[in-house]
Amino acid sequence: MSIENKCLRLSELPDDGSLAATAHAKYPGQHCSFRAVAGTVPLIKNSYALLFGPAICLYNAKLSMNMRSLTSDPRPNNLLFVNYSQDDIIFGFQEKVRVAIFQADQEYHPEVLFLITSCLQEIVGEDFDACIDEIRPSVKAKLLTIHTENFTCEGAAPGVENMFKSLFELMKEQPQEERTANILGLWTSTARKTELVRLLSGKGVRIKNVIPSYCTPSELEEAPGVQLNIVLDQYGLPLARMMKEKFGTNYIYCRKPYHPDSIEEWYQNIASALNIDLSVEVADLKKKTEALREKARAALAGMTCAVSGISGRPFDLALLLTSIGIEPKAMLMQTIQPEDRPDIQSLLNAGVDPIVFRGDNSLQNEELLAELSPDISVGAFERSSLARMGIRPVILSTSNYLLGFESTLEVMRLLMEGIPGIEALLYKEKILAGGEC
Amino acid sequence: MDLKHNGFPVPSDYFGVLWALSGIKDLLILEHGSTGTCNFNAFNYMIMNRQSPKGKLFSSGMDEDDVVMGRDEKIREAIVELDRKYHPRIIALVATGVTSMIGLDLKGIIEEIQPTTSARMLSFPSGGFAGDYTTGIREVFGSLARNIAEDCTKEARSNDASSWANPCTVNIIGPTIDSFNIISDLAELERMLGLMGVRVNTVFTCNTDVEAIKNLPCASLNLVTRDIGLEAAAILKERFGTPYYYGLPFGVKGSIDWMKDIAGILGIGLDKRLVRAELERYGYSILELVNFLQNIDHLRAAISCPFDYSSGLAAMMRDEWGINPSLIVLPASPIGPQRLNREANFGLGKDVRLLIEPDSWTLQDAISSMNPHIVFGNSYDLQISRNVPIRIHAAFPAFDHIYRYDGTPFVGLRGHAYLTQTIVNLLNQNPEVFRN
Repeated sequence: MSIENKCLRLSELPDDGSLAATAHAKYPGQHCSFRAVAGTVPLIKNSYALLFGPAICLYNAKLSMNMRSLTSDPRPNNLLFVNYSQDDIIFGFQEKVRVAIFQADQEYHPEVLFLITSCLQEIVGEDFDACIDEIRPSVKAKLLTIHTENFTCEGAAPGVENMFKSLFELMKEQPQEERTANILGLWTSTARKTELVRLLSGKGVRIKNVIPSYCTPSELEEAPGVQLNIVLDQYGLPLARMMKEKFGTNYIYCRKPYHPDSIEEWYQNIASALNIDLSVEVADLKKKTEALREKARAALAGMTCAVSGISGRPFDLALLLTSIGIEPKAMLMQTIQPEDRPDIQSLLNAGVDPIVFRGDNSLQNEELLAELSPDISVGAFERSSLARMGIRPVILSTSNYLLGFESTLEVMRLLMEGIPGIEALLYKEKILAGGEC
Repeated sequence: MDLKHNGFPVPSDYFGVLWALSGIKDLLILEHGSTGTCNFNAFNYMIMNRQSPKGKLFSSGMDEDDVVMGRDEKIREAIVELDRKYHPRIIALVATGVTSMIGLDLKGIIEEIQPTTSARMLSFPSGGFAGDYTTGIREVFGSLARNIAEDCTKEARSNDASSWANPCTVNIIGPTIDSFNIISDLAELERMLGLMGVRVNTVFTCNTDVEAIKNLPCASLNLVTRDIGLEAAAILKERFGTPYYYGLPFGVKGSIDWMKDIAGILGIGLDKRLVRAELERYGYSILELVNFLQNIDHLRAAISCPFDYSSGLAAMMRDEWGINPSLIVLPASPIGPQRLNREANFGLGKDVRLLIEPDSWTLQDAISSMNPHIVFGNSYDLQISRNVPIRIHAAFPAFDHIYRYDGTPFVGLRGHAYLTQTIVNLLNQNPEVFRN
């Protein structure tokens, strides 16, 4: 039986949104919270992070940060490493933890010191939190513990949520300030240059914090005093709920949209929650976006695609692609959120019923794509593998850090322009596959 | 306690096991752990010359129930799937920290499942707690030399004439996928051996397959290029009587000596005309590339590389460039029967510092106190040496350096030519080094 026939269609998705594993032997599988958290805590200013784990986790965490340092979005070098050895498993880890915390406090003088655990501490079962509570009064830094055990879940979500929730410990009751907002769940140094921030600023709304992107601990302390928390992803939602419960800070949960109609509605909801009117600005931007969409349609209609690794609302992106005339043949997903349901219904209403496939196994993904043979792959996928299959990659990384219409404009630019070097790569792979020179 | 702010946590034996196994074509690695560990590895392979473990490394996807209950169904199902779908010759079960800690018996699983599995199964149970990555590489080398290599002497394989030991074939033992500059260095070693009419049977283990490992004893000499290969070479000598020769050729003299030694062991002649032609092409001295106002004998240099590279580079710099390195840094003590000898290994006087496995602060202090003009090292060493004018990648890890092209060797005669030309170009780009 072909792999396509073994796959679910979107219309057949079970109520809980679960996707069956595609293999027993997995590669690479979903990434872990330890990695996600280690990559995120450097975004908090005036902080250091002590990573407690075996050399396997520490070495990889360091390399991930080093690779990041070579990109347009490097993260500050604030990671410190404490190796968890076999002796520590046998004789206990608490003294090593204590020494490391005092050393980090005295040598680096952080305002906040994150303490990040890995799977091993959780399995050994030493009372890490009690150990920290004992040390806490003796150090200057505020100690925030983040548990990231990966064996208890399949993805990084719980650890990343723990990271957000740890920031709650810095927050204090504040008088509410009108026309102010926090953005939760935007992970970039360019957060304050986004279209959303520009539009809100134009209406006198001041963005106090973009969490977790480059906030100081003292700014986070004041975070509950805003009129509204704008929550852009599911990871920030538990923190928003905690802030609502303890401080009464209102929030709106609105993941990043892609289709112009969805973006318009997204802005309307945010504007309404802040009692401002963005209709004129949004109408202008929407008009510009729709004009480019017509150009994209003229260039791309009739193509087919696979979609994977999308930030925000993946099925809304699929709807955008459909409106351009690109048929999504497959959606490769890690998890499907309950809040994806309205977008899924919109897609089905538009007559599109792609395959939904759990996308955490590269070899199975490639088998599926080889069989479906879409023209393009939109999102994150290995470029050389796609080129070998004659599929054009469209990597959306530059649109990931944008919001609103500017993100969709960037998506369409990337769809139309292609990535540098792709023609040479496709040419080589075609010849290697036995094609004409 | 070294919190490794400017340095890097030394990779554990777990990584060594993965890296030593990854160059074997028809072998698959199945690690028993959570997928996060496997996912992380996509990153650490990428920093090694943009390699990928895709299609080579798999995870059983261990979960909480497996940890709490000590269940092993997932790894069994994954073994069956890999065996039936990809038909590897060997499946290597590798423990992660979690497996090692809960004490799952990988050997026991193999005993039960081997009769129904086509692939030969091996286990590597240390899980990252046995030492650094060199321990893992040695563990793999030893296991393969003991368990996979087969006797291919005439007596043992009387019906298979092609597999008898060939007087002009050698194995290269030591390179693994993490080896710095391995593509160029291997190309040069194979080229030099080719000049002597010597064929490389296989490169153990960065470019090999199970059949070639079985046939390791078919070569008449094992060339050990890295100290971590000495144990395996000794095992092969004990099991099959294959002699081995240890050393990497650096510089003109080192390269000629290496060729002469190998020719002597193999009982073949070294064509003098050929050597002369090689020297004319690649043997240019640094004196032929600098002018008489470009003095270099005052230059201070530091070398921070594994033992084989450090000792070879130090000898070449001292004997052929006239630059005596003032600081030698080894990431680990040399392994094997040879003893670390400052004089014999590096020609070091008392005024030269030798640091072994220093923490990043000690290294930083050593670099800033000697204020070198030239540093050879890994990416972290070069970051620490930000103010040093001439910084040359020469060791793993090299996360910001790609060495895919095969024309930049450090070893052999072409390595001598490439390094000598490179150093002169870098000196010219930083002319202040001639003046202070």
